[in-house]
Amino acid sequence: MKRTRRLAAILIAALLAALTACGTQNGSGTAPETASQAAVSEAAQAEENGSADGSAQAEENGSAEGSAQAAKTESAQEEAGQAGEAGSAQTAENGPITVMDMTGREITLEEPAEKVVALTASDCEILYAIGAGDALVGRGEYCNYPAKVLEVPSVQSGADTNIEQILSLEPQVLLMSTMAQTEEQVAQLEAAGVHVVVSDAQDIAGVYTAIELIGALMGKDAEAAEVIDGMKSTFADLQEKAGEGSGKTIYFEVSPLQWGLWAAGSHTFMDEIAGMLGLTNCFADVEGWAEVSEEQVLERDPDYILTITQYYGEGPTPEEEILGRSGWENITAVQNKAILNLQNDELSRPAPRLAEGAQMLYDFVYGSGD
Amino acid sequence: MLEIKKLTVRFGELTVVDGLDLTVEEGQWLMIVGPNGAGKSTVLNAVTQGVPYTGQILFQGQDVRRMKSVQRARCIGMLAQSHPAAYSFSVEEVVSLGRYAYSAGLLSGRGDEDEAAVETALELTGMREQRKQSVLTLSGGELQRTFLAQAFAQDPQLLLLDEPTNHLDLIYQKQVFGMISDWLKRPGKAVISVVHDLSLAKACGTGALLMDRGRCVARGSVSEVLAPERLEQVYRMDVYAWMRGLLSQWS
Amino acid sequence: MRTRSDRFSLWEYALFAGITLAVLCLCVCVGSVNVPLRETLTAVAEALRALVLHRERPSGLGAAIILSVRIPRVLCVALVGASLALAGAAMQGLLKNALADGSTLGVSSGASLGAVIAIAFGVRVPFLPFAGTTAMAILFAFFSLLIILGLAYRMDCSFSTNTIILIGVVFSMFVSSLMSVIITFAADRIQHITFWTMGSLQGKNYTDVLLTGAALLVCGSVIFSRWRELNAFAVGEDNARHIGVNVRRVRLLILLAVSGLIGVCVSVGGTIGFVGLVTPHAVRLLAGPNHRRLLPASLFGGAVFLMLADLTARILLNPVELPIGVVTSLVGAVVFVIIFYRSRKRVKG
Repeated sequence: MKRTRRLAAILIAALLAALTACGTQNGSGTAPETASQAAVSEAAQAEENGSADGSAQAEENGSAEGSAQAAKTESAQEEAGQAGEAGSAQTAENGPITVMDMTGREITLEEPAEKVVALTASDCEILYAIGAGDALVGRGEYCNYPAKVLEVPSVQSGADTNIEQILSLEPQVLLMSTMAQTEEQVAQLEAAGVHVVVSDAQDIAGVYTAIELIGALMGKDAEAAEVIDGMKSTFADLQEKAGEGSGKTIYFEVSPLQWGLWAAGSHTFMDEIAGMLGLTNCFADVEGWAEVSEEQVLERDPDYILTITQYYGEGPTPEEEILGRSGWENITAVQNKAILNLQNDELSRPAPRLAEGAQMLYDFVYGSGD
Repeated sequence: MLEIKKLTVRFGELTVVDGLDLTVEEGQWLMIVGPNGAGKSTVLNAVTQGVPYTGQILFQGQDVRRMKSVQRARCIGMLAQSHPAAYSFSVEEVVSLGRYAYSAGLLSGRGDEDEAAVETALELTGMREQRKQSVLTLSGGELQRTFLAQAFAQDPQLLLLDEPTNHLDLIYQKQVFGMISDWLKRPGKAVISVVHDLSLAKACGTGALLMDRGRCVARGSVSEVLAPERLEQVYRMDVYAWMRGLLSQWS
Repeated sequence: MRTRSDRFSLWEYALFAGITLAVLCLCVCVGSVNVPLRETLTAVAEALRALVLHRERPSGLGAAIILSVRIPRVLCVALVGASLALAGAAMQGLLKNALADGSTLGVSSGASLGAVIAIAFGVRVPFLPFAGTTAMAILFAFFSLLIILGLAYRMDCSFSTNTIILIGVVFSMFVSSLMSVIITFAADRIQHITFWTMGSLQGKNYTDVLLTGAALLVCGSVIFSRWRELNAFAVGEDNARHIGVNVRRVRLLILLAVSGLIGVCVSVGGTIGFVGLVTPHAVRLLAGPNHRRLLPASLFGGAVFLMLADLTARILLNPVELPIGVVTSLVGAVVFVIIFYRSRKRVKG
């Protein structure tokens, strides 16, 4: 069963990639860089996690595959004092910094980076969260949080990434994920002396690793640790309050019905957080993001619906749109009007705001009274 | 029957036909001859409104430009030079298309008159046996006869032929010209054809028009137009000597 | 050689309708969620009774799935399939080119560009909430056709296979880069645009059914009434002129009808490739090239083909849905190569 599902995930990821790539035939063009790639990457990520059994993140971090591996220098680990987590950096005052990025490449900086270009929205968020936002000199096209990031010049994303512009910004470090960039682009940047660092969080533990990694690069280990602790305590708090949970089910809607119903399945941040809050993801049998059958949503009858559809201030809001869907009037969530719309990627990005998103979901499900 | 006045056709900068005048009367078979690029086929295309032109083309006093396509097709038919086929229509289907100009309503089927016209055309061209055959499987000669049958089924008063025997075997050349001669014997018919083969022009034509670089060099009876000095002027060679030389091989 | 009569007999039409109806029933009865046959039938019967007697529509999960999800979707799919196949058949006849189709010519890409512009800049028609996308899709489909055919005509004064395919590819690329440009201007709507371009037949309601049905009725009748002219074009455009077809007017009329069909289909279901290419070709092998037979047969064939493709997309990886374009393209690509190979061989031989 699991095997077939994984096969399905691979197939869909491949098909989506093919659809995106040969856009001429399907009219999709080169455009769908972000969302479809996100979908593909989610599927692919889910796949990767699936192979590592997904349950134990620490195990994955420590796995021999070297993905998301962190270089450990004993002293540094002691210094950082991050129990249980793989430290990702060796930090020494005024000494060279050596880190292992999340694809296992080793990067050595003479001193903390002062100028950084970050191509993914999540890395931008992490930089701001650890107080290193001022070092950001260039951003990917789709980085949009916090609002301040929009003042930073965009260097485009994906295949359109403007390498010349990046070089002209003279960063010491370029942060990116595994999906968006080509190897040629990486080679060009490295040849020009830019350190390319890959952050590629697949789950919440991966997010911690990414924060630590970026903290080390920026010489902000303490701040990074603080952010991680903040997240951990929020999650722990929510998990404790939620307890065993009510066994209620939730349906995560990634794309509305009008454009084809996409749901977040297992091995997504939404799924992981649902588990933390004692909720059951109704599409846990689906890997990553996938287009699911509308009939299945009706049959699985979720108690809650969370949609991340954007609202542009015209027509019905995403909540209203779901309430108005024909045939959906039998769904418990629709009858109870238990629909939450998170507009700002709180639960879809590997960034510190996952904790905020989790809090919002908790408040929505259990009430914010206590 | 057909009167062309000051016909001029330009493709961009290039003037293909330059102020041509021409008349054809009932029972006539006008042969348009001349070297390659003289604008012969373009004259025919102008008559069927296939190219933009200046000047006037009158059919029985009526401006052809102002005629509806269907009305024009009932008066003037045309057999093109080649007929590249893409789909496997049957011979009969192609021949029936000749009755398009007579189809009354959008949904009405073929009437008895249409059936009869198609039968006669198939009969005249000897394509009756192959009526169910796909046009994709026909030889060049059969294909030419099929489209000739279509033109006969169309039953026009004036038939335009663009090199009707191009690429055809001698046997087919003879057959096609024979069929057209028979057809011409009916009352109220006339033919204009563009031909390369001067001997055929001489044998079948009742009148001729010699063209060179878009202009009319000579018009009148066949023997007048195809006089040795005229041909030499246009073809820049002694056509008579060449023809006699060819024929002498056969004696 | 088999003899072929000009038109289908009544019983042949009954057979086609029967097959289409059977496939339609199959597609309504089978789906992602297993609804028992008895419940399906009851739901449909009650819904019909409710429609006639203005009573309450039946409620319950099974009824909701059948009446609100499956039936509108299957009907939409059938109408879109029929429209695309009809549009393909008309284009292949008009251009005398068996490889002509909305997707190979780039008309579908053009239509999606229109729809994307409508989504990106919020183009709307007053009082009709979703008509903006549809209207823009139709408009762009028509202008794409004009541009493509205009270019093809200027290049070699004909619609030969090579020119058509070449221009289709170039145009599609051009359109997809335009789309990228538009997306740069409307980065905030990237989510909608991306999911839209992937195409989906989910969430279709009876309004979509009516819209597609109306388009098919209007544009379809235009095309059907021109079967004679289409035959003439399929034999050759010059020949069509010689036998008295008003070439320019008929061509414009048919292109308008085709754009209407493709535009509506794209706005309803995204770009679904190959249906319009493969169906008429397969039908031509069985029913011959005469449009009096080809058009109605393509209509039914397209509906059946797309309904089966959609069924596959719905149930193959249950509960995940495959994009329908993937299924049609998988089948279509193979057939496309076969057609191209055969047409090349014919030219050489």
